[in-house]
Amino acid sequence: MTTNTPAVATATPETQAPRETYLNCSSGFMSWAGTLDHKRIGIMYLVGVGIAFLAGGLFALLVRLHLWEPEGLLFSNLDYNQVFTLHGAFMVFLFVIPAIPGSIGNMVLPLMVGAKDVALPRLNLLSFYLWLTGAILATLAIVLGGFDTGWTFYAPYSLYTDKAVVTIGLAVFVLGFSSIFTGLNFIVTVHKLRAPGMTWFRMPLMVWALYSTSILQVLATPVLGITVLLVAFERLYHIGIFDPRLGGDPVLFEHFFWFYSHPAVYIMVLPAFGIISELVSVHSRKPLFGYKLIAFSSLAIAIISFLVWGHHMFTSGQSTYAMFAFSFLTFFVAIPTAIKEFSWVATVWKGSVALNSPMLYALAFLIIFAIGGLTGVILGTLNVNLHLHDTYFVVAHFHYVMMGSISLAFFAGLHHWWPKMFGKMYSETLAKIACLIIFVGFNMTFIPQFIMGSRGMPRRYATYVPEFEPFHQASTIGAIILGCGVALMVFYLLQSLLSGKKAKENQWGGVTLDWHTPTPPPHLNFDHEPKVVHEVYDYSTLDYESMQRDAT
Amino acid sequence: MIHYLIQDPPQDPPKWDGVPAPDIDQFGQFPKLASTFHDVDGLFYFTYAVCIFFFVLITGVLLYSVVAHRRKTWDQKPLSNVTHNTPLEVVWTLIPLVLVMIMFAWGFKGSLDMTVVPHEAHLNTYKATAKQWSWQFTYPDGTTSYDEVWVEAGKPVQFILESKDVLHAFYVPAMRVKRDVVPGRYQSAWFEPHFTKEFAEGEPREQTFHLFCAEYCGLDHSRMYAKVHVVDAETMAKTPWNLVPKPEDPIEDKIAYGKQFANAQCLSCHSTNGAPGVGPTWKGLFTKDADGNYVGRQRDVLEGGQKKTITVDDAYILESIKEPMKKLAAEFPNGGMSNFDSLKDDEARLACILAYIKSLADN
Ligand code: HEC
Ligand SMILES: [Cu+2]
Ligand SMILES: [Cu+2]
Repeated sequence: MTTNTPAVATATPETQAPRETYLNCSSGFMSWAGTLDHKRIGIMYLVGVGIAFLAGGLFALLVRLHLWEPEGLLFSNLDYNQVFTLHGAFMVFLFVIPAIPGSIGNMVLPLMVGAKDVALPRLNLLSFYLWLTGAILATLAIVLGGFDTGWTFYAPYSLYTDKAVVTIGLAVFVLGFSSIFTGLNFIVTVHKLRAPGMTWFRMPLMVWALYSTSILQVLATPVLGITVLLVAFERLYHIGIFDPRLGGDPVLFEHFFWFYSHPAVYIMVLPAFGIISELVSVHSRKPLFGYKLIAFSSLAIAIISFLVWGHHMFTSGQSTYAMFAFSFLTFFVAIPTAIKEFSWVATVWKGSVALNSPMLYALAFLIIFAIGGLTGVILGTLNVNLHLHDTYFVVAHFHYVMMGSISLAFFAGLHHWWPKMFGKMYSETLAKIACLIIFVGFNMTFIPQFIMGSRGMPRRYATYVPEFEPFHQASTIGAIILGCGVALMVFYLLQSLLSGKKAKENQWGGVTLDWHTPTPPPHLNFDHEPKVVHEVYDYSTLDYESMQRDAT
Repeated sequence: MIHYLIQDPPQDPPKWDGVPAPDIDQFGQFPKLASTFHDVDGLFYFTYAVCIFFFVLITGVLLYSVVAHRRKTWDQKPLSNVTHNTPLEVVWTLIPLVLVMIMFAWGFKGSLDMTVVPHEAHLNTYKATAKQWSWQFTYPDGTTSYDEVWVEAGKPVQFILESKDVLHAFYVPAMRVKRDVVPGRYQSAWFEPHFTKEFAEGEPREQTFHLFCAEYCGLDHSRMYAKVHVVDAETMAKTPWNLVPKPEDPIEDKIAYGKQFANAQCLSCHSTNGAPGVGPTWKGLFTKDADGNYVGRQRDVLEGGQKKTITVDDAYILESIKEPMKKLAAEFPNGGMSNFDSLKDDEARLACILAYIKSLADN
């Protein structure tokens, strides 16, 4: 123990036998399948969303390959429509929404607030099994004839098509409950289980972000559930809510859908913000610039994001007043988002910036998210939106946010907490190479799409006018590069589990509670009840000795 | 090609075959503007410039600090421990706020121009009917065309949008116009078309632009395409979507026109395959003899209540169209054919219809 008193004393008795951790404290199939330990549930989520991501990525590659030629390389239009729908639905519902809260969030939230587990461990396990049920149903829907509605399920097409829309609707419904339960759990955990001394403004920003996300999940997701149920009823019993032939209104569907799906964008992106806030601070060894402003801007975004759904419908013929309000409020969300980006950059400024792989992924996020956010501003302007809506410009924009930013933040977080989770380190060299490949491949995939889009290439096209061919080909090559980068990442991460070096006790020099527990943590997270006596991100308390110590 | 192994080769050449790629504006982002909505381009490039400025600023500062302040020894402390700076935070909140408010106001004004249909456009109203996966256009005079539409340069035009089935979207990139076509309600879109290039002496003043369906509508969404022909007033007066072949034109043109016309006007009651309808089928009215001459069939008719048998010939066909009640086909003693007064003196169109009816004997 140095003279620097760490926020929490950690004691790691040097014993001969390997220390008991949550990974080795029990074994056997049921010790995982029936576990109530948030860390094991987090790992199961990680495996699940990882597989969903790879499946969604495979569909993406097929889409890109097909678009190599104007008349399409691989599929009939019918098959193409199914493949792009599968890509969207898998990525959104099975990966991006649950990925960070389910895996990393589950893993670190209780550690960060200094709790033994989440408040409702059984509900947590139920969330995971609901996710699994949703995933199985989605796969079943493919077997039952697939679905070709796009991930947005717009009526009335989704009412008339003869594909397995009800099954995938059921999948989305079930996945929604998984998401709601996780949100509920996190809210209760943050309110009830914070360690002594952990005041609201001593919470790490990851916790703030997950907390804001949870509020959105609990409030917005039910609307999605209701909407898919209505679609199912409409298909089965023809009740006439959305079907114009029965006097229904298809635009009403759009309102319901985006009332969920816009906040869902923030359900997806707020946890990513949380990860990045942690990472820039730890790897610059500097307190987060404008902590309170970032915390409040998360909440502000959570609230305003409920009021901007109409910006997805500027061409749908809503009234001028609605356009006015939705566009105005959309610009308002841009401000807290910009504040966050500026604050992160200011945190790095004059820090002690470590160029390790988590930080590289985080830096890649900062650059890509700048583009994703700024192009969002272009799309928010009303008259320009009328031209760009439903073109590849929109496709590129939301991939910069969903793939470029959220997935990269997920990767960054994964690299950051990987040693904490498994006590193993991956190859830093390979990690840096993979990050570079992913960064290059990603930009090469989507920059051509911005240009195509503003030149008028509509989205969801199986065939296209020949002047777009060079852009599509560049984009396809980019996607292949991106795919190689991801494959490399999967390879070295898995390899580290088999033959990785032992991770250090405090691999990166973090000062939040998650780094004040042994690595990997014991079954009940802390050997002693943690007590918080310092402000969050106070790096003067950094125990340099613990950073050098290897895990035992 | 690989794809023939997996999918059927495409049946028809794509509808956009032969339409040249649009000219691109000087910044390379948009097709050259072919309407009057300059605000879209102006605001886009303004916002774009602002975005590039902020992007360079953010990445510049970021990369500078990453390089200049990178950690060289493992226990290096940061150069500063500042946690906030209120003036700076106020500045970087206010400047973006002002900028986005400009963008909002400009964009809103621009969208009003695009959604409020001016009076001249009301006077020049077309209808666009979308159905899976084709477009039908109806001109102010009631004539129609499919998957192709002609508009006059410099003359504002309004399209009333109607869908027969699911959602579609009417999108002409060169005009910057996009509007969802929603089943169960009418929407409208307007623009004032212009040429995007100078024409050489004697070159026909005509340009063709893409019209896409931008809202996913199922199987052939990507093939739901139409051509927008912008032409001058002179060409417009010749109603190019409705050109009637003259007597000296080749017979194939007449047959083709006759077919198109009959499709639109006659075949709701008549069939060409022998099937019964509101009126007698056209199949078998003529047959072809060994020398290739058309021979009319024998037919029972009622003239003034009297039943007689005549031989179908050109005169009978023309009379049936001009004066349907004069000789009634015997199976239809009550008549029921609509009056086509406008055809009475229209020898050119009648000739085409006749040619088409006769051509049914060819196969
Ligand atoms: C509203 C239904 C209707 C439409 C539309 C219609 N017809 Fe008729 N047509 C009839 C009926 C009923 C008869 C039979 C009674 C008669 O001879 O007038 C008939 C008879 C005819 C005959 C005589 C056929 C025979 O077997 O003797 C010709 C030729 C004809 N129509 C041509 C036309 C043409 C050309 C058009 C389009 C410009 C047209 N019709 C549109 C209902 C229609
Ligand atoms: Cu949105
Ligand atoms: Cu379409």
